[in-house]
Amino acid sequence: MKGTVYKVAPGLLAVLALALLAAALWTAAGATPAQAAAGLANPETAELLKIAGAVPLAQKPDNDLCMACHGRPDQVQTFPNGDTISISVDPEVYAQSKHANLACTTCHTNISTYPHPENPANSAREYTLQYQNSCNQCHPGQAAETKDSAHANLPPEHQDNAPTCADCHDPHAQPDVVTDDQGDPVPAERGRIAEICSACHASIVEEFKQSVHGQALVEEANPDVPACNDCHGIHNIESSRTVEFRLNSPQLCAECHTREDIMSKYGISTDVMNTYVSDFHGSTVTLFSKERSGEDTNKPVCYDCHGVHNIMATDDPDKGLAVKENMLASCQRCHPDASENFSASWMSHYIASPTRYPLVYYVNLFYSIFIPAVLGGMGLFVLSDILYRTGVTRRRKKVEAAPPAQDQADNTPKE
Amino acid sequence: MSQVQKRYHRFGIWERAEHLVLILSFTLLSLTGIPQKFFLSPISQGVISAMGGIETIRVIHRIAAAVFLLEAIYHAVVVGYKLYVQRKGATMLPGVKDGKDAVQWFGYNLGLHNKRPKMPRYNFMEKAEYWAMIWGLALMGLTGLMLWNPIATTNMLPGQFIPAAKAAHGGEALLAVLAIILWHFYHVHIKQLNKSMFIGTLSRHEMEEEHAAELEMIESGALPPEPHPAEVRRRARVYLPVAGVLALALAGMTYYFLTFETSAITTIPPISDGPVFVRATPTQAPVTAVPESAGGALVWAGGIGPMLQAKCASCHGSTGGYSVETYAAAMEAITAGEPENSSVVELMQAGGHPGMLSDAELQQLIEWIDDGAPEGAEGAAANAPTTWEGGVGALFEATCASCHGSMGGFSAETYDGVLEAVKPGDPDGSQVVELMRAGGHPGMFGENERNIVINWIQAGAPQQ
Repeated sequence: MKGTVYKVAPGLLAVLALALLAAALWTAAGATPAQAAAGLANPETAELLKIAGAVPLAQKPDNDLCMACHGRPDQVQTFPNGDTISISVDPEVYAQSKHANLACTTCHTNISTYPHPENPANSAREYTLQYQNSCNQCHPGQAAETKDSAHANLPPEHQDNAPTCADCHDPHAQPDVVTDDQGDPVPAERGRIAEICSACHASIVEEFKQSVHGQALVEEANPDVPACNDCHGIHNIESSRTVEFRLNSPQLCAECHTREDIMSKYGISTDVMNTYVSDFHGSTVTLFSKERSGEDTNKPVCYDCHGVHNIMATDDPDKGLAVKENMLASCQRCHPDASENFSASWMSHYIASPTRYPLVYYVNLFYSIFIPAVLGGMGLFVLSDILYRTGVTRRRKKVEAAPPAQDQADNTPKE
Repeated sequence: MSQVQKRYHRFGIWERAEHLVLILSFTLLSLTGIPQKFFLSPISQGVISAMGGIETIRVIHRIAAAVFLLEAIYHAVVVGYKLYVQRKGATMLPGVKDGKDAVQWFGYNLGLHNKRPKMPRYNFMEKAEYWAMIWGLALMGLTGLMLWNPIATTNMLPGQFIPAAKAAHGGEALLAVLAIILWHFYHVHIKQLNKSMFIGTLSRHEMEEEHAAELEMIESGALPPEPHPAEVRRRARVYLPVAGVLALALAGMTYYFLTFETSAITTIPPISDGPVFVRATPTQAPVTAVPESAGGALVWAGGIGPMLQAKCASCHGSTGGYSVETYAAAMEAITAGEPENSSVVELMQAGGHPGMLSDAELQQLIEWIDDGAPEGAEGAAANAPTTWEGGVGALFEATCASCHGSMGGFSAETYDGVLEAVKPGDPDGSQVVELMRAGGHPGMFGENERNIVINWIQAGAPQQ
């Protein structure tokens, strides 16, 4: 058609018309999906798309084209190394997902024709990584956070296991995250987090589900207990194997365990942090965390005694530290010679009182009286001496008493 | 003149040396101990950092404590020597007079008394400090060693003795440091600079003020006579070996206690938490249920066909070679009635094929082949639309129009448009059929749909 125009109407006008037509075609329908997707690299465009919740409608029919094959279940892609992945997308699930309004080619920028260009990926992993950049186009903040995370900085030999965005957020199914008034995920959402993490951390999640926190999270969707992300973060997941993480971990526990509004529901003391910090172990850890020298200490943090993911209630018969044998076993991990009495030298987060740890209570009481009494007495003596030497009391004496001469004689050298 | 300039002996060189050791160890103990008691204060943290961190200052604290204990043992030996061998008076023992002196001193300062008390060799201020030191030494030594050996301690005593010892150690430390600053510093540094601990002597004026009673005794010659040298030597021969053995025993005990327990100082690293990266058992891919035909028998159309297409077509479809896209093509690897001679079945039973049917699916496939592998499209064809407006148009609209619509080129949206690729009465010569048979087109008719279209073309592709 374009050719026809050019042939029948030669000359400047025709060229102009051709240019106009080309421009019109370009804007109306001519831009390929790939080009439209490339436009998303511009954050402003991405933002606009997010706000509008739409992709140029001209591209929408493309999804039907893709779904003609990929909408069928059990579409499998096999890679040279033997990996297989499902390349099926359930159209109904996709329609409910956060990405329902996006054209397939918005993310799958390397596919715009059929048959598809040959994919160079050797493995499922390589294939997934091809689309990593697609997420970054619209979610630059999360992508940047992830780049600083432990997941993005695994040693080379574990790189193949590092999760990409899509490993946690199925891009064809990711629903809207339901949040409360404060913008925090609702309890039901928090329960799903452990499931997502368990894809790679199955044994830890299994352990967590048995714990006092995990049980309440999974079984009751209890909003008071932590989900994985509450301690580890979401995208900027910090390595929990660093010295810094270990030394600061008591603060992490204290964030919830010093909150009266949460702890009072379960009859848990909010003194756990200050009693820990004032004890030998806690004060050492606190000092190490303040020094920031990067050195670790062999003194325990909360999880060394209470467990990490398998934290149980303190009265749990197998693990609870209120059970004497469990407490002793915990002590003996670092103090193998510890006897039964030894475990009672740690006051179990209690503050000494006349009924609990009375000896400690009375020693403290003694010194709270003894120190001011002794220093007060000394102070009076010293004060009297100062008054005398500055002349305050001496002058009065001069007026009253007859022989002041002796004092003066004291101060004048005798020849 | 000579009276005034006369210096009065107070401390010998060894006593002064002792005091220096005491200054050193006490200062170190305070500098490394008080910041530990008030470790949350930024000042303490600065001091701790400056001295090399908490673990380092604990080591310094223990070294200073050991020095302090050894100094105490030495002092005990010296005191014994003075009392037993030299037969000197127990001038440090407190008495009723010291109480009276204190009251009088206080009263004099307030102008209630017109004379300072005449005080002996060691006045009440010095005795208070000395005995406070002895009390502090005993208490700090005891509680310190308990904290140093918590496991040994709790082998003998209840657990709460450890936090109690810590409380006492800290309380007593605070008292000692503050008392030194308030009492000692005031009386020997601020009130007047008493240099006797460094130069060994006091002036007459200082003696008059602080030790008037001793001065009187010196001047009146009332001091007890020096014992006979021979007698001193005899007693020394008895005392020194005994004291030496006792001192060694005490020093040995100190060493024993200070090195007795190692597990409280060097601890065993905590147990690791186990493997972090453990993949969850992958979820099995969903099994496609094969719908049975109305009569209950398995047929290709709407049954075995879609199942094989779902499982195999991503390879055995449009890419050439064996294809399950159509009944005819699929039958190339299937011998009707003879599953054992059908290579599809053979391949699945052998295993290891990149795509595999599930056991249930394979069972159905075998049953179907056993039954003669019926195509079974008749039922579907009977109700199938036969005209463009009667349904064929809708079929094209649904399957093709998303591409072949209003965008130009071939259009599947109108009857006339479709006729561009359809030769009425000649399915084999129609481009649409050709394309669908060749496979690999982005949009594809299903098996039934294709048969409908073929039948429609065969019938002359009627519009109505």
